Amino acid sequence: MLNVHEVLKTFNRGTVNEKIALNKVSLELLPNDFVTVIGSNGAGKSTLLNAIAGNFMVDSGEISIEGIPITRLPAHKRADLISRVFQDPLSGTAASMTIEENLIMAFRRGKGRRLRRAIGPKERDLFRIELEKLGLGLENRLTNKVSLLSGGQRQALTLLMATLQKPKLLLLDEHTAALDPKTAEKVLELTCGVTEQQQLTTLMITHNLDHALTFGNRTIMMHEGRVILDIKGIERNNMTISRLLEMFEKASGSHMNTDRMILA
Amino acid sequence: MFTQIALGTMEQGLMYAIMVLGVYLTFRILDYADLSVDGSFTLGAATATSLIVGGTDPWIATGMAFIAGTLAGLFTGILHTKFKITPLLSGILTMTALYSINLRVMGRANISLLGSRTIFSDFAKLPFMEEYGVLVLSLGSVLLIGAVIYFFLQTELGLALRATGDNELMIRSLGVNTDLMKILGLGLSNGLVAFAGSYVAQKLEFADASMGIGMIIAGLASVIIGEVLVGTSSIGRAILAVICGAVLYRAIIAVVLQLGLEATDLKLITSFIVIIALVSPTLRKKIASWSGGISGKEAQ
Repeated sequence: MLNVHEVLKTFNRGTVNEKIALNKVSLELLPNDFVTVIGSNGAGKSTLLNAIAGNFMVDSGEISIEGIPITRLPAHKRADLISRVFQDPLSGTAASMTIEENLIMAFRRGKGRRLRRAIGPKERDLFRIELEKLGLGLENRLTNKVSLLSGGQRQALTLLMATLQKPKLLLLDEHTAALDPKTAEKVLELTCGVTEQQQLTTLMITHNLDHALTFGNRTIMMHEGRVILDIKGIERNNMTISRLLEMFEKASGSHMNTDRMILA
Repeated sequence: MFTQIALGTMEQGLMYAIMVLGVYLTFRILDYADLSVDGSFTLGAATATSLIVGGTDPWIATGMAFIAGTLAGLFTGILHTKFKITPLLSGILTMTALYSINLRVMGRANISLLGSRTIFSDFAKLPFMEEYGVLVLSLGSVLLIGAVIYFFLQTELGLALRATGDNELMIRSLGVNTDLMKILGLGLSNGLVAFAGSYVAQKLEFADASMGIGMIIAGLASVIIGEVLVGTSSIGRAILAVICGAVLYRAIIAVVLQLGLEATDLKLITSFIVIIALVSPTLRKKIASWSGGISGKEAQ
Protein backbone atom coordinates (compact mmCIF):
# COMPACT_ATOMS: atom_id res chain seq x y z
CA MET A 1 0.00 0.00 0.00
CA LEU A 2 2.28 2.79 1.28
CA ASN A 3 5.94 2.11 0.80
CA VAL A 4 8.57 4.45 2.25
CA HIS A 5 12.02 3.23 1.29
CA GLU A 6 15.21 4.59 2.90
CA VAL A 7 14.03 8.18 2.89
CA LEU A 8 16.64 10.75 3.91
CA LYS A 9 15.88 14.37 4.72
CA THR A 10 18.35 16.89 6.12
CA PHE A 11 17.30 20.38 7.11
CA ASN A 12 19.67 23.36 6.85
CA ARG A 13 22.28 21.25 5.13
CA GLY A 14 25.77 22.71 5.27
CA THR A 15 25.03 25.09 8.15
CA VAL A 16 25.62 24.86 11.90
CA ASN A 17 21.93 24.09 12.30
CA GLU A 18 22.16 21.01 10.11
CA LYS A 19 19.73 18.37 11.29
CA ILE A 20 19.05 14.94 9.90
CA ALA A 21 15.29 14.75 10.32
CA LEU A 22 14.74 11.47 8.52
CA ASN A 23 17.64 9.05 8.60
CA LYS A 24 17.01 6.51 5.83
CA VAL A 25 13.66 5.66 7.29
CA SER A 26 11.72 2.77 5.80
CA LEU A 27 8.11 1.89 6.45
CA GLU A 28 5.58 -0.31 4.75
CA LEU A 29 1.84 -0.15 5.33
CA LEU A 30 -0.60 -2.86 4.30
CA PRO A 31 -4.06 -1.98 3.05
CA ASN A 32 -6.42 -1.11 5.96
CA ASP A 33 -3.50 -0.72 8.35
CA PHE A 34 -4.16 1.84 11.07
CA VAL A 35 -0.70 2.68 12.36
CA THR A 36 -0.13 4.90 15.38
CA VAL A 37 3.19 6.77 15.51
CA ILE A 38 4.87 7.79 18.76
CA GLY A 39 8.23 9.30 19.66
CA SER A 40 9.77 12.21 21.51
CA ASN A 41 9.97 15.74 20.14
CA GLY A 42 12.14 16.01 17.07
CA ALA A 43 11.99 12.27 16.43
CA GLY A 44 10.86 12.92 12.85
CA LYS A 45 7.19 11.97 13.13
CA SER A 46 5.77 15.10 11.54
CA THR A 47 8.65 15.23 9.08
CA LEU A 48 7.74 11.73 7.94
CA LEU A 49 4.13 12.78 7.38
CA ASN A 50 5.21 15.94 5.58
CA ALA A 51 7.54 13.91 3.37
CA ILE A 52 4.71 11.54 2.45
CA ALA A 53 2.35 14.47 1.83
CA GLY A 54 4.95 16.22 -0.33
CA ASN A 55 5.37 19.43 1.65
CA PHE A 56 9.04 19.22 0.73
CA MET A 57 11.13 17.04 -1.52
CA VAL A 58 13.24 14.36 0.20
CA ASP A 59 17.01 14.20 -0.33
CA SER A 60 16.98 10.54 -1.30
CA GLY A 61 14.85 7.44 -1.04
CA GLU A 62 11.56 6.46 -2.62
CA ILE A 63 7.92 6.84 -1.62
CA SER A 64 5.09 5.07 -3.39
CA ILE A 65 1.41 4.45 -2.84
CA GLU A 66 -0.11 1.31 -4.36
CA GLY A 67 2.94 1.08 -6.56
CA ILE A 68 2.56 4.64 -7.87
CA PRO A 69 5.84 6.48 -7.26
CA ILE A 70 5.13 9.87 -5.68
CA THR A 71 8.63 10.83 -4.52
CA ARG A 72 8.98 13.66 -7.04
CA LEU A 73 5.37 14.84 -7.17
CA PRO A 74 4.51 18.26 -5.68
CA ALA A 75 1.99 18.23 -2.80
CA HIS A 76 -0.97 19.28 -4.89
CA LYS A 77 -0.46 16.38 -7.29
CA ARG A 78 -0.56 13.83 -4.46
CA ALA A 79 -3.86 15.15 -3.21
CA ASP A 80 -5.96 12.57 -5.02
CA LEU A 81 -4.15 9.83 -3.05
CA ILE A 82 -3.58 11.42 0.33
CA SER A 83 -5.64 13.51 2.70
CA ARG A 84 -4.53 15.08 5.94
CA VAL A 85 -5.75 16.47 9.22
CA PHE A 86 -3.34 18.86 10.90
CA GLN A 87 -2.73 19.44 14.60
CA ASP A 88 -3.86 23.06 14.51
CA PRO A 89 -7.65 23.18 14.02
CA LEU A 90 -7.18 26.49 12.18
CA SER A 91 -5.01 25.03 9.46
CA GLY A 92 -7.41 22.47 8.00
CA THR A 93 -10.16 24.85 6.96
CA ALA A 94 -10.51 28.25 5.27
CA ALA A 95 -11.92 30.53 7.98
CA SER A 96 -13.37 33.24 5.75
CA MET A 97 -15.34 30.74 3.71
CA THR A 98 -18.59 28.96 4.58
CA ILE A 99 -18.93 25.37 5.80
CA GLU A 100 -20.39 24.26 2.48
CA GLU A 101 -17.66 26.03 0.51
CA ASN A 102 -15.01 24.26 2.56
CA LEU A 103 -16.76 20.93 2.04
CA ILE A 104 -17.09 21.35 -1.71
CA MET A 105 -13.38 22.14 -2.01
CA ALA A 106 -12.63 18.92 -0.15
CA PHE A 107 -15.19 17.05 -2.24
CA ARG A 108 -13.18 18.01 -5.33
CA ARG A 109 -9.89 16.98 -3.76
CA GLY A 110 -7.41 15.99 -6.41
CA LYS A 111 -9.76 16.80 -9.27
CA GLY A 112 -9.57 19.67 -11.72
CA ARG A 113 -11.28 22.91 -10.75
CA ARG A 114 -13.55 24.18 -13.45
CA LEU A 115 -15.37 27.36 -14.22
CA ARG A 116 -18.76 26.12 -13.11
CA ARG A 117 -20.92 26.89 -10.12
CA ALA A 118 -19.41 24.90 -7.28
CA ILE A 119 -22.38 24.04 -5.07
CA GLY A 120 -25.79 22.83 -6.15
CA PRO A 121 -28.76 21.31 -4.28
CA LYS A 122 -27.39 17.80 -4.78
CA GLU A 123 -24.13 18.62 -2.99
CA ARG A 124 -25.99 20.46 -0.24
CA ASP A 125 -28.09 17.36 0.48
CA LEU A 126 -24.99 15.20 0.62
CA PHE A 127 -23.26 17.64 2.98
CA ARG A 128 -26.29 17.74 5.30
CA ILE A 129 -26.31 13.95 5.57
CA GLU A 130 -22.57 13.80 6.22
CA LEU A 131 -22.60 16.65 8.73
CA GLU A 132 -25.47 15.05 10.62
CA LYS A 133 -23.23 12.04 11.30
CA LEU A 134 -20.88 14.31 13.26
CA GLY A 135 -23.71 15.02 15.68
CA LEU A 136 -22.65 18.65 16.16
CA GLY A 137 -25.64 20.35 14.59
CA LEU A 138 -23.53 21.69 11.75
CA GLU A 139 -25.99 20.40 9.16
CA ASN A 140 -28.15 23.47 9.78
CA ARG A 141 -25.24 25.88 9.46
CA LEU A 142 -24.05 25.19 5.91
CA THR A 143 -23.74 28.87 5.00
CA ASN A 144 -22.03 29.92 8.24
CA LYS A 145 -18.44 31.03 7.97
CA VAL A 146 -16.01 28.52 9.47
CA SER A 147 -14.48 31.27 11.63
CA LEU A 148 -17.66 31.07 13.74
CA LEU A 149 -16.95 27.46 14.75
CA SER A 150 -15.08 26.24 17.83
CA GLY A 151 -11.76 24.42 17.54
CA GLY A 152 -13.41 21.04 18.07
CA GLN A 153 -16.08 21.74 15.49
CA ARG A 154 -13.44 22.87 13.01
CA GLN A 155 -11.39 19.74 13.62
CA ALA A 156 -14.44 17.51 13.17
CA LEU A 157 -15.18 19.37 9.95
CA THR A 158 -11.58 18.92 8.79
CA LEU A 159 -11.84 15.20 9.47
CA LEU A 160 -15.03 15.04 7.43
CA MET A 161 -13.33 17.02 4.65
CA ALA A 162 -10.41 14.59 4.67
CA THR A 163 -12.68 11.58 4.21
CA LEU A 164 -15.52 13.01 2.11
CA GLN A 165 -13.69 11.76 -0.95
CA LYS A 166 -12.15 8.46 0.13
CA PRO A 167 -8.36 8.84 0.19
CA LYS A 168 -5.93 5.99 -0.36
CA LEU A 169 -4.03 7.16 2.70
CA LEU A 170 -5.17 9.26 5.64
CA LEU A 171 -2.52 11.20 7.57
CA LEU A 172 -3.40 12.43 11.05
CA ASP A 173 -0.81 14.67 12.69
CA GLU A 174 -1.74 14.83 16.39
CA HIS A 175 -5.11 15.99 15.23
CA THR A 176 -6.62 15.94 18.73
CA ALA A 177 -3.67 17.43 20.65
CA ALA A 178 -4.98 21.00 20.55
CA LEU A 179 -8.49 20.09 21.74
CA ASP A 180 -9.91 19.81 25.24
CA PRO A 181 -10.08 16.18 26.49
CA LYS A 182 -13.80 15.75 25.91
CA THR A 183 -13.72 17.14 22.37
CA ALA A 184 -10.57 15.14 21.67
CA GLU A 185 -12.41 11.93 22.61
CA LYS A 186 -15.29 12.89 20.34
CA VAL A 187 -13.00 13.58 17.39
CA LEU A 188 -11.10 10.33 18.01
CA GLU A 189 -14.38 8.45 18.10
CA LEU A 190 -15.33 10.01 14.77
CA THR A 191 -11.90 9.08 13.42
CA CYS A 192 -12.32 5.43 14.37
CA GLY A 193 -15.82 5.36 12.95
CA VAL A 194 -14.80 6.69 9.56
CA THR A 195 -11.58 4.68 9.21
CA GLU A 196 -13.48 1.48 10.00
CA GLN A 197 -16.42 2.27 7.79
CA GLN A 198 -14.33 3.33 4.79
CA GLN A 199 -11.55 0.82 5.56
CA LEU A 200 -8.94 3.54 5.30
CA THR A 201 -5.22 3.04 5.51
CA THR A 202 -4.20 5.47 8.23
CA LEU A 203 -1.06 6.87 9.80
CA MET A 204 -1.76 8.69 13.07
CA ILE A 205 0.78 10.59 15.17
CA THR A 206 -0.15 10.84 18.83
CA HIS A 207 1.39 11.92 22.09
CA ASN A 208 -1.03 9.83 24.06
CA LEU A 209 0.60 6.44 24.69
CA ASP A 210 -2.72 4.97 25.76
CA HIS A 211 -4.30 6.02 22.46
CA ALA A 212 -1.26 4.75 20.63
CA LEU A 213 -1.87 1.24 21.98
CA THR A 214 -5.67 1.17 21.93
CA PHE A 215 -6.34 2.65 18.51
CA GLY A 216 -5.37 0.98 15.28
CA ASN A 217 -3.68 -2.36 14.69
CA ARG A 218 -0.02 -1.41 14.76
CA THR A 219 2.26 1.00 16.61
CA ILE A 220 5.63 2.35 15.54
CA MET A 221 8.05 4.37 17.61
CA MET A 222 10.42 6.86 16.04
CA HIS A 223 13.68 8.22 17.34
CA GLU A 224 16.25 10.43 15.61
CA GLY A 225 14.71 10.00 12.22
CA ARG A 226 14.33 6.23 12.33
CA VAL A 227 11.70 3.68 13.25
CA ILE A 228 13.09 1.99 16.38
CA LEU A 229 10.08 -0.10 17.34
CA ASP A 230 7.32 -1.68 15.30
CA ILE A 231 4.75 -3.79 17.12
CA LYS A 232 1.51 -5.45 16.10
CA GLY A 233 -0.65 -8.48 16.85
CA ILE A 234 -0.19 -10.32 20.15
CA GLU A 235 2.98 -8.45 21.05
CA ARG A 236 1.04 -5.19 20.83
CA ASN A 237 -1.97 -6.56 22.69
CA ASN A 238 0.26 -7.51 25.62
CA MET A 239 2.05 -4.20 25.63
CA THR A 240 1.67 -1.79 28.51
CA ILE A 241 2.64 1.85 28.67
CA SER A 242 5.41 1.26 31.21
CA ARG A 243 6.89 -1.52 29.08
CA LEU A 244 6.66 0.73 26.06
CA LEU A 245 8.69 3.40 27.89
CA GLU A 246 11.19 0.77 28.99
CA MET A 247 11.60 -0.46 25.44
CA PHE A 248 12.09 3.09 24.27
CA GLU A 249 14.88 3.64 26.78
CA LYS A 250 16.54 0.41 25.78
CA ALA A 251 16.25 1.00 22.05
CA SER A 252 17.27 4.65 22.06
CA GLY A 253 19.58 4.75 25.05
CA SER A 254 17.82 7.84 26.39
CA HIS A 255 14.74 8.89 28.30
CA MET A 256 11.58 9.69 26.50
CA ASN A 257 10.54 13.29 26.90
CA THR A 258 7.71 12.53 29.29
CA ASP A 259 6.40 16.02 30.02
CA ARG A 260 4.78 16.17 26.62
CA MET A 261 3.80 12.51 26.66
CA ILE A 262 0.42 11.63 28.02
CA LEU A 263 0.81 8.37 29.84
CA ALA A 264 -2.75 7.41 30.54
CA MET B 1 -22.28 73.83 -11.38
CA PHE B 2 -22.93 71.45 -8.48
CA THR B 3 -24.71 68.86 -10.64
CA GLN B 4 -21.85 69.12 -13.09
CA ILE B 5 -19.33 68.26 -10.38
CA ALA B 6 -21.58 65.54 -8.92
CA LEU B 7 -22.01 63.95 -12.34
CA GLY B 8 -18.28 64.11 -13.06
CA THR B 9 -17.47 62.62 -9.66
CA MET B 10 -19.97 59.82 -10.16
CA GLU B 11 -18.60 59.02 -13.63
CA GLN B 12 -15.02 59.01 -12.39
CA GLY B 13 -15.93 56.99 -9.31
CA LEU B 14 -17.55 54.27 -11.39
CA MET B 15 -14.57 54.06 -13.77
CA TYR B 16 -12.16 53.84 -10.87
CA ALA B 17 -14.44 51.23 -9.33
CA ILE B 18 -13.34 48.85 -12.09
CA MET B 19 -9.75 49.41 -10.96
CA VAL B 20 -10.73 48.97 -7.32
CA LEU B 21 -12.43 45.64 -8.12
CA GLY B 22 -9.05 44.55 -9.47
CA VAL B 23 -7.28 45.72 -6.31
CA TYR B 24 -9.90 43.90 -4.22
CA LEU B 25 -9.10 40.63 -6.02
CA THR B 26 -5.46 40.77 -5.00
CA PHE B 27 -5.57 42.70 -1.72
CA ARG B 28 -8.53 40.93 -0.14
CA ILE B 29 -9.14 37.68 -2.03
CA LEU B 30 -5.48 36.69 -2.52
CA ASP B 31 -4.18 38.64 0.50
CA TYR B 32 -1.46 40.07 -1.74
CA ALA B 33 -0.55 43.79 -1.80
CA ASP B 34 0.21 44.16 -5.48
CA LEU B 35 2.06 47.35 -6.39
CA SER B 36 2.14 46.61 -10.12
CA VAL B 37 -1.24 48.37 -10.19
CA ASP B 38 0.45 51.79 -10.48
CA GLY B 39 2.11 50.66 -13.69
CA SER B 40 -0.70 48.61 -15.17
CA PHE B 41 -3.24 51.44 -14.84
CA THR B 42 -1.01 53.62 -17.02
CA LEU B 43 -0.32 50.65 -19.27
CA GLY B 44 -4.05 50.36 -19.97
CA ALA B 45 -4.32 54.06 -20.73
CA ALA B 46 -1.19 54.02 -22.89
CA THR B 47 -2.23 50.92 -24.82
CA ALA B 48 -5.75 52.17 -25.56
CA THR B 49 -4.78 55.72 -26.49
CA SER B 50 -1.87 54.82 -28.72
CA LEU B 51 -3.96 52.20 -30.50
CA ILE B 52 -6.83 54.66 -30.97
CA VAL B 53 -4.48 57.33 -32.30
CA GLY B 54 -3.09 54.71 -34.65
CA GLY B 55 -6.59 54.13 -36.03
CA THR B 56 -7.72 51.04 -34.12
CA ASP B 57 -11.40 50.77 -33.18
CA PRO B 58 -11.72 52.14 -29.60
CA TRP B 59 -13.67 49.10 -28.39
CA ILE B 60 -10.94 46.77 -29.59
CA ALA B 61 -8.32 49.13 -28.13
CA THR B 62 -10.08 48.92 -24.74
CA GLY B 63 -10.03 45.13 -24.94
CA MET B 64 -6.34 45.23 -25.79
CA ALA B 65 -5.74 47.36 -22.70
CA PHE B 66 -7.25 44.56 -20.61
CA ILE B 67 -4.96 42.01 -22.24
CA ALA B 68 -1.88 44.19 -21.75
CA GLY B 69 -2.71 44.61 -18.07
CA THR B 70 -3.26 40.86 -17.70
CA LEU B 71 0.20 40.20 -19.13
CA ALA B 72 1.73 42.64 -16.62
CA GLY B 73 -0.07 40.82 -13.79
CA LEU B 74 1.10 37.44 -15.04
CA PHE B 75 4.65 38.76 -15.00
CA THR B 76 4.33 39.84 -11.36
CA GLY B 77 2.80 36.47 -10.53
CA ILE B 78 5.61 34.54 -12.16
CA LEU B 79 8.25 36.67 -10.42
CA HIS B 80 6.64 35.87 -7.08
CA THR B 81 5.72 32.20 -7.47
CA LYS B 82 8.44 30.82 -9.73
CA PHE B 83 11.36 32.94 -8.56
CA LYS B 84 10.24 33.36 -4.94
CA ILE B 85 10.54 37.15 -4.94
CA THR B 86 8.49 38.75 -2.15
CA PRO B 87 5.04 40.09 -3.13
CA LEU B 88 5.99 43.72 -2.53
CA LEU B 89 9.22 43.53 -4.48
CA SER B 90 7.62 41.62 -7.38
CA GLY B 91 5.07 44.41 -7.69
CA ILE B 92 7.66 47.15 -7.47
CA LEU B 93 9.79 45.47 -10.13
CA THR B 94 6.85 45.21 -12.53
CA MET B 95 5.75 48.76 -11.76
CA THR B 96 9.22 50.14 -12.44
CA ALA B 97 9.66 48.13 -15.62
CA LEU B 98 6.23 49.26 -16.80
CA TYR B 99 7.20 52.92 -16.48
CA SER B 100 9.68 52.47 -19.32
CA ILE B 101 7.36 50.17 -21.24
CA ASN B 102 4.54 52.73 -21.03
CA LEU B 103 6.79 55.43 -22.45
CA ARG B 104 7.73 53.04 -25.26
CA VAL B 105 4.08 52.23 -25.93
CA MET B 106 3.13 55.90 -26.08
CA GLY B 107 6.32 57.00 -27.82
CA ARG B 108 6.27 60.19 -25.70
CA ALA B 109 5.27 61.30 -22.21
CA ASN B 110 1.61 61.95 -23.08
CA ILE B 111 -0.97 61.43 -25.80
CA SER B 112 -4.03 63.55 -26.53
CA LEU B 113 -7.18 61.93 -27.89
CA LEU B 114 -8.91 65.23 -28.70
CA GLY B 115 -11.24 64.72 -31.62
CA SER B 116 -10.59 60.98 -31.82
CA ARG B 117 -13.31 58.36 -31.63
CA THR B 118 -13.55 56.83 -28.14
CA ILE B 119 -15.92 54.31 -26.58
CA PHE B 120 -17.67 57.27 -24.96
CA SER B 121 -18.09 59.27 -28.19
CA ASP B 122 -19.47 56.12 -29.83
CA PHE B 123 -21.82 55.46 -26.96
CA ALA B 124 -23.06 59.07 -26.92
CA LYS B 125 -24.43 58.55 -30.45
CA LEU B 126 -26.99 56.08 -29.12
CA PRO B 127 -30.46 57.53 -28.45
CA PHE B 128 -30.83 59.44 -25.13
CA MET B 129 -27.14 58.96 -24.36
CA GLU B 130 -25.88 62.40 -25.28
CA GLU B 131 -25.82 63.76 -21.75
CA TYR B 132 -25.50 60.71 -19.52
CA GLY B 133 -23.68 58.38 -21.88
CA VAL B 134 -20.47 58.31 -19.85
CA LEU B 135 -22.38 57.63 -16.65
CA VAL B 136 -24.50 54.86 -18.16
CA LEU B 137 -21.60 53.15 -19.87
CA SER B 138 -19.42 53.31 -16.72
CA LEU B 139 -22.23 52.12 -14.48
CA GLY B 140 -23.15 49.31 -16.87
CA SER B 141 -19.50 48.21 -17.12
CA VAL B 142 -18.99 48.20 -13.34
CA LEU B 143 -22.18 46.29 -12.65
CA LEU B 144 -21.41 43.76 -15.36
CA ILE B 145 -17.82 43.24 -14.14
CA GLY B 146 -19.00 43.11 -10.53
CA ALA B 147 -21.56 40.43 -11.42
CA VAL B 148 -19.00 38.42 -13.36
CA ILE B 149 -16.59 38.52 -10.40
CA TYR B 150 -19.43 37.60 -8.04
CA PHE B 151 -20.31 34.50 -10.04
CA PHE B 152 -16.68 33.65 -10.72
CA LEU B 153 -15.89 33.59 -7.00
CA GLN B 154 -18.59 30.92 -6.48
CA THR B 155 -17.24 28.60 -9.16
CA GLU B 156 -14.88 25.75 -8.35
CA LEU B 157 -12.02 27.82 -9.70
CA GLY B 158 -13.17 30.89 -7.78
CA LEU B 159 -13.33 28.95 -4.52
CA ALA B 160 -9.81 27.66 -5.11
CA LEU B 161 -8.66 31.26 -5.65
CA ARG B 162 -10.31 32.44 -2.42
CA ALA B 163 -8.90 29.52 -0.46
CA THR B 164 -5.41 30.31 -1.79
CA GLY B 165 -5.66 33.70 -0.09
CA ASP B 166 -7.23 32.25 3.04
CA ASN B 167 -5.33 29.04 3.77
CA GLU B 168 -2.71 28.13 1.22
CA LEU B 169 -1.45 24.97 2.95
CA MET B 170 -4.95 23.56 3.19
CA ILE B 171 -6.01 24.17 -0.39
CA ARG B 172 -2.72 22.78 -1.68
CA SER B 173 -3.34 19.62 0.33
CA LEU B 174 -6.69 19.45 -1.47
CA GLY B 175 -4.94 19.36 -4.83
CA VAL B 176 -4.88 22.98 -6.00
CA ASN B 177 -1.77 24.44 -7.57
CA THR B 178 -1.62 27.63 -5.52
CA ASP B 179 1.13 29.15 -7.66
CA LEU B 180 -1.17 28.97 -10.65
CA MET B 181 -4.02 30.50 -8.63
CA LYS B 182 -1.85 33.46 -7.63
CA ILE B 183 -0.71 34.02 -11.20
CA LEU B 184 -4.32 33.82 -12.38
CA GLY B 185 -5.55 36.24 -9.72
CA LEU B 186 -2.79 38.74 -10.40
CA GLY B 187 -3.42 38.54 -14.15
CA LEU B 188 -7.13 39.11 -13.76
CA SER B 189 -6.61 41.93 -11.28
CA ASN B 190 -4.13 43.84 -13.41
CA GLY B 191 -6.29 43.25 -16.48
CA LEU B 192 -9.15 45.04 -14.72
CA VAL B 193 -6.87 47.84 -13.55
CA ALA B 194 -5.59 48.44 -17.10
CA PHE B 195 -9.16 48.23 -18.40
CA ALA B 196 -10.11 51.01 -15.97
CA GLY B 197 -7.06 52.97 -17.10
CA SER B 198 -8.28 52.85 -20.69
CA TYR B 199 -11.72 54.12 -19.62
CA VAL B 200 -10.26 57.01 -17.66
CA ALA B 201 -7.93 57.98 -20.50
CA GLN B 202 -10.76 57.94 -23.03
CA LYS B 203 -12.96 60.03 -20.77
CA LEU B 204 -10.16 62.56 -20.17
CA GLU B 205 -9.15 62.21 -23.84
CA PHE B 206 -5.63 62.14 -22.54
CA ALA B 207 -3.01 59.68 -21.34
CA ASP B 208 0.06 60.54 -19.33
CA ALA B 209 3.03 58.42 -18.27
CA SER B 210 2.54 59.40 -14.64
CA MET B 211 -1.26 59.05 -14.38
CA GLY B 212 -0.99 55.77 -12.45
CA ILE B 213 1.17 57.05 -9.62
CA GLY B 214 -0.50 56.43 -6.26
CA MET B 215 -3.21 54.29 -7.85
CA ILE B 216 -2.61 51.36 -5.48
CA ILE B 217 -3.11 53.59 -2.43
CA ALA B 218 -6.27 55.11 -3.95
CA GLY B 219 -7.46 51.55 -4.57
CA LEU B 220 -6.73 50.44 -1.01
CA ALA B 221 -8.43 53.54 0.39
CA SER B 222 -11.53 52.80 -1.70
CA VAL B 223 -11.63 49.15 -0.61
CA ILE B 224 -11.28 50.09 3.06
CA ILE B 225 -13.87 52.93 2.92
CA GLY B 226 -16.37 50.59 1.25
CA GLU B 227 -15.75 47.76 3.70
CA VAL B 228 -16.22 50.02 6.71
CA LEU B 229 -19.44 51.56 5.42
CA VAL B 230 -21.10 48.66 3.59
CA GLY B 231 -19.62 45.59 5.29
CA THR B 232 -18.18 42.30 4.08
CA SER B 233 -20.52 39.65 5.47
CA SER B 234 -20.78 37.93 2.09
CA ILE B 235 -19.00 38.02 -1.25
CA GLY B 236 -21.86 39.91 -2.89
CA ARG B 237 -21.83 42.51 -0.18
CA ALA B 238 -18.05 42.85 -0.31
CA ILE B 239 -18.16 43.51 -4.07
CA LEU B 240 -20.90 46.09 -3.59
CA ALA B 241 -18.80 47.63 -0.82
CA VAL B 242 -15.84 47.93 -3.17
CA ILE B 243 -17.90 49.72 -5.83
CA CYS B 244 -19.48 52.09 -3.30
CA GLY B 245 -16.08 52.70 -1.74
CA ALA B 246 -14.61 53.74 -5.07
CA VAL B 247 -17.40 56.25 -5.73
CA LEU B 248 -17.23 57.57 -2.16
CA TYR B 249 -13.49 57.98 -2.38
CA ARG B 250 -13.91 60.14 -5.48
CA ALA B 251 -16.62 62.11 -3.69
CA ILE B 252 -14.30 62.75 -0.75
CA ILE B 253 -11.60 63.91 -3.15
CA ALA B 254 -14.07 66.22 -4.91
CA VAL B 255 -15.18 67.74 -1.58
CA VAL B 256 -11.60 68.23 -0.46
CA LEU B 257 -10.80 70.01 -3.73
CA GLN B 258 -13.89 72.21 -3.35
CA LEU B 259 -12.70 73.12 0.14
CA GLY B 260 -9.71 74.77 -1.51
CA LEU B 261 -6.94 72.20 -1.22
CA GLU B 262 -4.61 71.82 -4.17
CA ALA B 263 -4.81 68.80 -6.44
CA THR B 264 -1.17 68.16 -5.55
CA ASP B 265 -2.20 67.52 -1.92
CA LEU B 266 -4.44 64.62 -2.90
CA LYS B 267 -1.87 61.88 -2.51
CA LEU B 268 -1.07 63.06 1.00
CA ILE B 269 -4.75 62.97 1.92
CA THR B 270 -5.20 59.54 0.35
CA SER B 271 -2.24 58.18 2.29
CA PHE B 272 -3.74 59.57 5.49
CA ILE B 273 -7.05 57.84 4.79
CA VAL B 274 -5.27 54.50 4.36
CA ILE B 275 -3.05 55.05 7.42
CA ILE B 276 -6.07 55.86 9.59
CA ALA B 277 -7.91 52.80 8.29
CA LEU B 278 -4.93 50.50 8.86
CA VAL B 279 -4.11 51.93 12.28
CA SER B 280 -7.62 52.12 13.72
CA PRO B 281 -8.09 48.40 14.53
CA THR B 282 -4.82 48.37 16.52
CA LEU B 283 -5.73 51.62 18.22
CA ARG B 284 -9.19 50.36 19.08
CA LYS B 285 -7.69 47.28 20.72
CA LYS B 286 -5.29 49.39 22.72
CA ILE B 287 -8.02 51.74 23.87
CA ALA B 288 -10.19 48.76 24.80
CA SER B 289 -7.43 47.25 26.90
CA TRP B 290 -6.75 50.58 28.65
CA SER B 291 -10.34 51.20 29.56
CA GLY B 292 -11.34 47.58 30.12
CA GLY B 293 -8.34 46.60 32.25
CA ILE B 294 -7.95 42.87 32.78
CA SER B 295 -11.41 41.97 31.53
CA GLY B 296 -10.58 43.70 28.25
CA LYS B 297 -7.56 41.48 27.84
CA GLU B 298 -9.57 38.39 28.57
CA ALA B 299 -12.07 39.34 25.93
CA GLN B 300 -9.32 39.15 23.36
